[in-house]
Amino acid sequence: MSDTALAARSPLAGLLRPGRQGARGDLPGVVVQERTGLQIVSLAARKGQEVPLMAAVRAAWGIDLPTTPRRVGDARLAFVWSGPSQWLAVATDWPGDLEAALRAHLGGLGSLTDQGDGRVVLRVRGPHARDALAKGMAIDLHPRAFQPGDVAATLAAHIGVQIWQLDEAPTYEMAAFRSTAGSLCDWIVAASAEYGVEIVEPG
Amino acid sequence: MSAPAMILPRQAVATSAAGPAPAQPFRLAAGGLVDRTATLDFTFDGRRYTGHPGDTLASALLANGVRLVGRSFKYHRPRGILSSGPEEPNALVELRSGARREPNTRATMAELFAGLEARSQNRWPSLRFDLMGVNQLVAPILAAGFYYKTFMWPAAFWETVYEPLIRRAAGLGRAAGEPDPDHYEKATLHCDVLVTGAGPAGLMAALAAARAGARVVLCEEDVRLGGRLLAERRTLDGLPAPDWLRGVEAELRAMPDCRILTRTTVFGAFDGACGAVERVSDHLATPPEFQPRQRLWRIVAGRQVLAAGSIERPLVFGGNDRPGIMLAGAVRSYLNRFGVAAGRRAVVFTNNDDAACTVADLAAAGVAVAALVDMRREVSPEIRRIAEAAGASLLTDAAVTRVRGRTALRGVEVTDGAGRRHALDCDLLAMSGGWSPSLHLASHHGGKAAWNEARATFLPPEQLPPGMAVAGAANGDLLLAECLAAGARAGAAAAQATGFRPAPPATPSVDGESTASAPFWWVRGGRGKAFVDFQNDVGVEDVALANREGFRSVEHLKRYTTLGMATDQGKTSNANGVALLAELSGRTIAGTGTTTFRPPYTPVAIGALAGHHRGKAFRPVRRTPTHDWAAEQGAVFVEAGPWLRAQYFPRPGESDWLETVTREARTVREAVGLCDVTTLGKIDIQGPDAATFLERVYINTWKALPVGRARYGVMLREDGMVMDDGTTARLAEDRFVMTTTTVNAVRVSQHLEFCHQWLWPELDVQMISVTEQWAQIAVAGPRSRAVLERVVDAPFDIGNDAFPHMACAALTVCGGIKARLFRLSFSGEMAYEIAVPARFGDALARRLMEAGAPFGITPYGTEALGVLRIEKGHVAGNELTGQTTAADLGLGRMMSRKKDFIGRAMAQRPGLTDPARPVLVGLRPVDRAARLRGGAHLLPRGAESTAAHDQGYLTSVAFSPALGHWIGLGLLVRGRERMGEIVRAHDPVRGGDLEVEVVPPVFVDPEGARLHV
Repeated sequence: MSDTALAARSPLAGLLRPGRQGARGDLPGVVVQERTGLQIVSLAARKGQEVPLMAAVRAAWGIDLPTTPRRVGDARLAFVWSGPSQWLAVATDWPGDLEAALRAHLGGLGSLTDQGDGRVVLRVRGPHARDALAKGMAIDLHPRAFQPGDVAATLAAHIGVQIWQLDEAPTYEMAAFRSTAGSLCDWIVAASAEYGVEIVEPG
Repeated sequence: MSAPAMILPRQAVATSAAGPAPAQPFRLAAGGLVDRTATLDFTFDGRRYTGHPGDTLASALLANGVRLVGRSFKYHRPRGILSSGPEEPNALVELRSGARREPNTRATMAELFAGLEARSQNRWPSLRFDLMGVNQLVAPILAAGFYYKTFMWPAAFWETVYEPLIRRAAGLGRAAGEPDPDHYEKATLHCDVLVTGAGPAGLMAALAAARAGARVVLCEEDVRLGGRLLAERRTLDGLPAPDWLRGVEAELRAMPDCRILTRTTVFGAFDGACGAVERVSDHLATPPEFQPRQRLWRIVAGRQVLAAGSIERPLVFGGNDRPGIMLAGAVRSYLNRFGVAAGRRAVVFTNNDDAACTVADLAAAGVAVAALVDMRREVSPEIRRIAEAAGASLLTDAAVTRVRGRTALRGVEVTDGAGRRHALDCDLLAMSGGWSPSLHLASHHGGKAAWNEARATFLPPEQLPPGMAVAGAANGDLLLAECLAAGARAGAAAAQATGFRPAPPATPSVDGESTASAPFWWVRGGRGKAFVDFQNDVGVEDVALANREGFRSVEHLKRYTTLGMATDQGKTSNANGVALLAELSGRTIAGTGTTTFRPPYTPVAIGALAGHHRGKAFRPVRRTPTHDWAAEQGAVFVEAGPWLRAQYFPRPGESDWLETVTREARTVREAVGLCDVTTLGKIDIQGPDAATFLERVYINTWKALPVGRARYGVMLREDGMVMDDGTTARLAEDRFVMTTTTVNAVRVSQHLEFCHQWLWPELDVQMISVTEQWAQIAVAGPRSRAVLERVVDAPFDIGNDAFPHMACAALTVCGGIKARLFRLSFSGEMAYEIAVPARFGDALARRLMEAGAPFGITPYGTEALGVLRIEKGHVAGNELTGQTTAADLGLGRMMSRKKDFIGRAMAQRPGLTDPARPVLVGLRPVDRAARLRGGAHLLPRGAESTAAHDQGYLTSVAFSPALGHWIGLGLLVRGRERMGEIVRAHDPVRGGDLEVEVVPPVFVDPEGARLHV
């Protein structure tokens, strides 16, 4: 009966307004951005199918599925290790339905579950990104311990997150359950305030 | 006897903000590490004073001749400044005012800042004339354990009279009583080597480790690096200590992976991490914008070197708490670091060589030294030479046996070995009983400090926290050369152990020294009360009393006398207390032992422990996809675990929650309502063995469930009790979506993972939470289909034949939005649950409200949800207590006999199948106007209201709009056999006792006809 599609709403609508907050100065110490245009699908290998599954992913996209906490791929499509024989496929501006694309290539080798709506993803970068993240995360983000491509499942301000590092700026992305988006942003903005924090338009 | 050689500065007659602050009469003309080019104004008890940057409140008060700083905890005795460090037991003050007022600040640790306001504590009406000082007169009845003995009778007075009385008389400062306006932070710091303490040992440890390339964190409680080197006139490699320190600090600061945290106290060694608190803004009137007041660090270190130094012991003699009696090392600290003479004419009283440095330093600063009183029979020629050079008479085998002066020291009487008495005028008595290692952190994992007879001190335990080494004075090495060498060795070893290759550490050469000591602890036969624990007012008599009364274990001594239990944790008193008890009880000190040091090493503000997590950020909040819409609708929210859920939606004109909830529930029964049920746990279960897996975790069968159908399931814990319930729908041959209760979502996920990973790894099944992926909205009521028909895309048929009760399907809504539709009912009405990707949840709620407007749709919250399910006798969290079986809840017949499942065996235990167990029943008041109360106990009529007659309780109650009276669910012994019986609902907490009738638990539509229309 219905004929008009529904409007999507960000979990951060009204909660994270673009602009400068905290200490003033030339450059912000931390830049925070909500990621949009993402599709996220979880992938878990069917029993004993890890090897053919990895071969199928390699054949389709030239990506070697990581077997340690790493993110492999590029901005368009990356696979983030999320547990033994489990990954998150994260795609940006993917044409069409990512779950369907994965299903077409991987068939019965893995179980696929759409998770794109279940997560909020924040990009956190800047010269003081590590200092700010250390105020809620117990893991070691020092370059000797955590580098671009590294992934961790941990807590940020008591909120379960998956974090991965994109580059040496450093730039990180944190994925958390959608419902916790408000608390997660409250914390990262408060933790970054002393360095000056720029909240940029979602993208 | 002549008057003291010095004259205290005259007190200003009246406090005047306009008048000039007095000069600093006790400030030396030169020397020290204070910035004399700048002056800071501050007040103490409303009177204005000045100090310099670099001062502590204690050094500034001493510079101004302020001796009397506080009143003691129990006897309100006048007290001054004892120490110059974190061990201070006496000089506790209130700092700041208003919401920032903080009690019990050690004046020795408070850095002076312009405008600092400090007040003395525990005195009334004033510090000088404290009426509670009469406590001293009744001291005999205030001895150890007095409150156990004195305030015994009558018992009715315990809380009404005695406790308020004691609390008023004894105590410390006052809390602000207002919300703290500042913010606090918590952060984690990782390193290879943590060095605690930046004295000579700690600096060398940090240098050795950092030069090797290790990531080093160096924590120093003080604002400056240097430790005791700041307080002494020492040379290292031919340089005065401050110059040597500058070089070391510059080198450390230049290394990118060495982090120096000053004003930072490592207060605890915990499993896997140390806790430290950084006083980021305590030295400022208010924190700079965006800066926290304090920051709590969780420091994770591969290795750590404890170089916390040592704490000087007081000597125990009559009147040893008079203002003007200080630790000898503290006197040197005030002289050398702050350029302050703590008096004009001093006596030094000691059992060791180190205190002779105080004689030399006082003389060098121009302070007269009347005598060096040494408890030892023999002293070295060097000591004699120092005394002679200072013009001090040397009295050996001697002790202070009497002190003069009340609020300030005026003189002492010394008795020597021959029994001769020497009256000495002085306003400063510097005492030293030797030095005790600051080994507290070393015993935080339970290791007991060990007595070392040769060094006459407790040393760190053999069983140290993992990865910790102790170096320098904290390890009992008191000589500077030893400290430097030991620190360098420990730092190099720590770097080596974390994978680095340290170069052999070179240590600077130092000038000569001696720290020889003899174990004399207390002076017998002196006049006046001799204190062991200054902060808790525990004296020799108290320890003796404890010994006489049999409290001879140190643990008993501690608790009976409160020795060492003040906020200073007995830093200056523990060793003396143990030594005294050993002597009194005829044991060795080693045989007497010591109590356990526990974190925190020094007090930590609760605010620092909370960090960001206070107020609304107390814990993370989970918001539903329709939160903003519900807020617009005026919803009142309730916490359901971490979730915020709409509890009810009041409308204008509704007078209370009950009216609103009744309207919402009635609307669902008569028309249609919608409710966000996103918070229910949803688990996507896939794989060829998914159905087999469900068969094993649920008590009922699943293999035969067709695709496109859902089923109610119950799962047990291994022990046979019900764990959780919910509906699970079969989306495909190899795919199910399970729902759980909101509160058990995480627990069920963990349970399923455990079952799969440990019990049945052979099953080919994968699972993942999709709770957050789907916004799920219940649309319930006789008009629910009419509403949904306006939302579901054609040609999908949701009619009763095509989509009956317990059907499920994937479809699209609102013009192509992918969705899942379930025909499920918690309310007992014809109902659906519709799920869309979470980003569309808000818009879907709005669309459903539009579509439902012609049918009178209402949003309903968790309260109406509860009313509807109670009317239907559905169990929920109140009944799933973890102590109920499936049979208790009337679900026993669901337990399949054809298969095995988790909890099956244990559910057959006699205790769980006992026919006398309380089981689920419905209950309604005999007087239909009466209100039921949840939690009321069920008792037989005529039985006495005692626990022995307790037969169950009301688990859930509601006002039933369908029936027009209150109804309840309850667990009642043999309840199913007692239908129609009248029992009592006895509610002693709220004072109710009314008769209720036992009825079947399903109050509305027991045949379930409404589900299938």
